[in-house]
Amino acid sequence: MDLVNAALAVVKGLPLTLLLAVSALAIGAVGALPVSLGLQSRHIVVRLLCRLCVDLVRGIPIIVWLFVLKFGVVVGTFKLDALQSAIVGLGLVSIAYLAEIYRGGIQAVPRGQTEAAEALGLSSRTRLVHVVLPQAFTIVSPSIATYFVGLLKDTSIASTIVVAEMVFQAQSFARQNPTLAGLLPYVIAGGLYIVLSLPVAFASRRLDARLRRAVV
Amino acid sequence: MALIEGSALNAERVGIDLEHLSKRYGDTVVLDDVSLHVEPGTVTALIGPSGAGKSTFLRCINLLERPDSGVIRVDRHVIEPGKLVTSRDLAALRRSVGMVFQSFNLFPHLSVLENIVFPQRKVLGRSREEAQDRAHALLSRVGLADKANEHPGRCSGGQQQRIAIARALALEPSIMLFDEPTSALDPEVGLEVLAVMRELADEGMTMLVVTHEMNFARDVSDTLVVMADSHIIEQGDPRAIMSDPQVERTRRFLRAVLER
Repeated sequence: MDLVNAALAVVKGLPLTLLLAVSALAIGAVGALPVSLGLQSRHIVVRLLCRLCVDLVRGIPIIVWLFVLKFGVVVGTFKLDALQSAIVGLGLVSIAYLAEIYRGGIQAVPRGQTEAAEALGLSSRTRLVHVVLPQAFTIVSPSIATYFVGLLKDTSIASTIVVAEMVFQAQSFARQNPTLAGLLPYVIAGGLYIVLSLPVAFASRRLDARLRRAVV
Repeated sequence: MALIEGSALNAERVGIDLEHLSKRYGDTVVLDDVSLHVEPGTVTALIGPSGAGKSTFLRCINLLERPDSGVIRVDRHVIEPGKLVTSRDLAALRRSVGMVFQSFNLFPHLSVLENIVFPQRKVLGRSREEAQDRAHALLSRVGLADKANEHPGRCSGGQQQRIAIARALALEPSIMLFDEPTSALDPEVGLEVLAVMRELADEGMTMLVVTHEMNFARDVSDTLVVMADSHIIEQGDPRAIMSDPQVERTRRFLRAVLER
């Protein structure tokens, strides 16, 4: 009976866990592109500015970001609620980490590719969009998957600012059942994180294998 | 179909004029006041020891390397590297000049056909049908009609290099640059590539070829240029230079290559 109740409690948090992970990844995947280009800009000011932002965001623990966003952002009567703060915070952190991953991927595309594209007379935009980025994506897709699995677990930090995701639900169940049964929801939540990350790892291996077959 | 659209009769014959090109990386001088004229419709072979500046010299022509000083005249384009080069000038220059690399540099994420189609669409604004027709025609010309839907990675080195030649020709350049096109290939496979180049030369393409293939240099090229230590040390008729080099450095280099 305890087991069923604990499971029901944790599963209530599942939609928010998924929402947090997916929206943060979406923000990160899109936002990281301009930042990664900025990290490689010819203009030293742009480059340093992007470097500063990335290191700042990565250097501060996620939990601090969430508190700053939830309690520190007040513009007039506007405040971020808990869920918004968590999405923005995890999104920002994702931008910073993915920008670094993208940069590595772009730089790993062989020099000869850009040169051939240049010699063909392709514009710098076409070189980037049609030659460099597709190849960089192949290179970074396993790293993105690894990052996503980590992000999935980091969403649990949102419980500290009262976002009712899985760990938050586990905590409230434990509080109401201060016996050994209180451990159950945490074990179940742990199991769920593993189950959720399995398809990501699987999909990434499939995708990676397919892209590599196409390339090599 | 000929490799060059329209071929022999009405082909645009364009030469190259390079005047006083100099280039250094830090303290290393790569090119020291090098000048060269290439007559339209001729083949020039560029030989010499490695580190002589051959590749850099070649790459200056389409500005993959920016010389520190000098003047580049290609077709109607005049580029003075010391001055600002607009992206429009650059695009126009590169439209006239095709280039083939030692490492082929085909785009690995695109099919063979798409490697040839996509630049035509982006650079010349051709329709998909037109670009595909041209690509298929060029592929069969280099003997690879059946490879259109393959991925480049599944092709041998010699095939990849022939595809790279087709890709460059699809943009109808008036000049072709070859940077050691057979150096990454084993000798037998290199022959397929050399055969295509020979045909291209017969059709009157203006070609500048950095190479270690002495037979190609002797039999196909109209002019042989020997570079060493950032200079052109000798140039002229290939047979004359090979049988009777005037400069000691050339003699030493040729002996090393031919005795191999």
